[in-house]
Amino acid sequence: MKAEDVQGGTRARMRTELLVSLGILAAVALLPAIVANEYWRGVFIVSMYFAMLAAAWNLLAGYTGQLSLAPAAFGMIGGYVTGLLSYHYNAPPMVGIPAAIVVSGLIGFVLGRIVLRLRGPYLALTTLSFAEIVRLIISNSIEITRGDLGLNVPGIFDHRLAYYYAMLAVLLAVQLGLYFLLRTPAGLYLRAIRDDEIAAASRGVKIVLWKTNAFTLSAAISGLAGALYGHFAQFVSPELGLISQTGIIISMVVIGGLGTLPGPIGAAFLVYIASEFLRGFGGYQLIVFALLVIIFSRFFREGLWGLLRRAFERARARPATAQAAE
Amino acid sequence: MLTLDLAINGLIIGVFYALMAIGLSLIFGILKVVNFAHGEFYMLGAYAYTLAGLLLGISPWISLPFAFLVGMIVGLIVERLLMRPLYSGYTSWAVMRDEYAVIVTFGLSLLLINLVDKIVGPYAYKGPALVDVTRIALGPVLISGHRLIAALAGIGVIIATGLIVRYSYWGRQIQAVAQNRLGASLAGIDTAKASAIVFALAGGLAAVSGALLANIFNPTPDVGVFPAIKSYVIVVLGGMGSVPGSIVASLILGVLESFGGVYISYQYRDTFGLVILILVLMFRPQGLFGERARDV
Repeated sequence: MKAEDVQGGTRARMRTELLVSLGILAAVALLPAIVANEYWRGVFIVSMYFAMLAAAWNLLAGYTGQLSLAPAAFGMIGGYVTGLLSYHYNAPPMVGIPAAIVVSGLIGFVLGRIVLRLRGPYLALTTLSFAEIVRLIISNSIEITRGDLGLNVPGIFDHRLAYYYAMLAVLLAVQLGLYFLLRTPAGLYLRAIRDDEIAAASRGVKIVLWKTNAFTLSAAISGLAGALYGHFAQFVSPELGLISQTGIIISMVVIGGLGTLPGPIGAAFLVYIASEFLRGFGGYQLIVFALLVIIFSRFFREGLWGLLRRAFERARARPATAQAAE
Repeated sequence: MLTLDLAINGLIIGVFYALMAIGLSLIFGILKVVNFAHGEFYMLGAYAYTLAGLLLGISPWISLPFAFLVGMIVGLIVERLLMRPLYSGYTSWAVMRDEYAVIVTFGLSLLLINLVDKIVGPYAYKGPALVDVTRIALGPVLISGHRLIAALAGIGVIIATGLIVRYSYWGRQIQAVAQNRLGASLAGIDTAKASAIVFALAGGLAAVSGALLANIFNPTPDVGVFPAIKSYVIVVLGGMGSVPGSIVASLILGVLESFGGVYISYQYRDTFGLVILILVLMFRPQGLFGERARDV
């Protein structure tokens, strides 16, 4: 197979993935027309927060192969940056949100430099420690952050629908941005690092540069998500950075499909909405997700999207082989 | 006498840390993965010990081996169902091997915490004390009887484990597989059995640690999270895969936290270990006693 074919194959596949993601987002855009309940609209908004975190973590873990255990910590950092700015300096969200992106991006850059040479379990341990340190600092700096009491954050809009479409627009921008990033050579570098770091380096991929870029970008997106969530919920607390939150983000990406565009965001909606349903039936949601994560990572490594794609390809291949047999 | 007090309390906590960390270290030695569900073995042990005492009314000295047994059985099940793909011929998995291990043990941790939360409930139970003596004078230092006896029991278990791993037939098989899996299998060692033994032993040790501490840190579904994080720090500091390294690092961390909590900052005592972990990985990734794998 020629190199161009591989390239073309991935491009066609990515285009399908983009179209499916756009389809998911279009469906989400139409949801408020069906669901008038304010509570459920709130649930969808929180799902979009998780979808952004899942997409950001997927860029790092799924496409670059850097399995960080700190995605929730960056969401928390973003929320606290804009929250603290408005609490102490009365800064408007128009200042707070960009500041959240920049600060979490910078912290992500530093973390990326620290873990540059670490792999697998060592990387997971370092990022986990980092996440816990950040959470402990925030919950113990009571004079600045009010500690575990949490921080009140001013809202941006008067109506829930405004938040809804603002979040959706950002999520769409993130998804499109990821698609175009992955199409460029940069996207190939990231995936090359994931598949074989040494081989990628030997072919001239600047490992240091692209690994830190992935960390920075992923952290900046998570920070943005956290800042938006903070303004929507009008409250941030150290609980945003708990390890269990990271667990939820990871389950979304693994169930949806690691290293695919539509998987994580589709699963973010499915998982979060399902968890709201299950909450009514005795709160078994986390047990179900944990089981799904184990089952998917053990038996269906490509996630829901991989299963769907394969079912679709099989359905398409069957008429073709029937023709060939004649 | 504050110094002596802090030192002894730190060493005692270090013993319980060591019980956790040895198992984690053995698992890393043999499979080269970190078990992110290690704290949940601790939690299961704490519950097994406490509930056996509360519901069946049996003596804590019988609940203790019972907790060990529970940890062992869960360890065996986990190894058989989830760890096998790491080494038994799934060649195409080689690339994502580490990621699989992290995700699947992370998921397992989430599962066990929430299962126990649903079955037993989120409330804390107080584990029974091993002895009724409330205060024992250890020279000039006063210490609770349970703490002292539990620490002594912990030391006994650690010594027994060390002897088993060092000298027994199975223990030497474990060492061989940890040094070189392929080489060991060429020498006729059943590497799958060695992995199963390691998981059973690690699960049992963590469970005993939880059981011994159940009187001090009352079991709740997420009681294992902090001991697990401590044991990650310890295996990194002591060198992944090194049992003596884990023991030394446990005692160091216990004493360091004990002193740091008084002389540096009480609020931030839980962050010291995490900072140590990051610094060690940045500047001395092999830890204090890290062993290098030998090639065939």
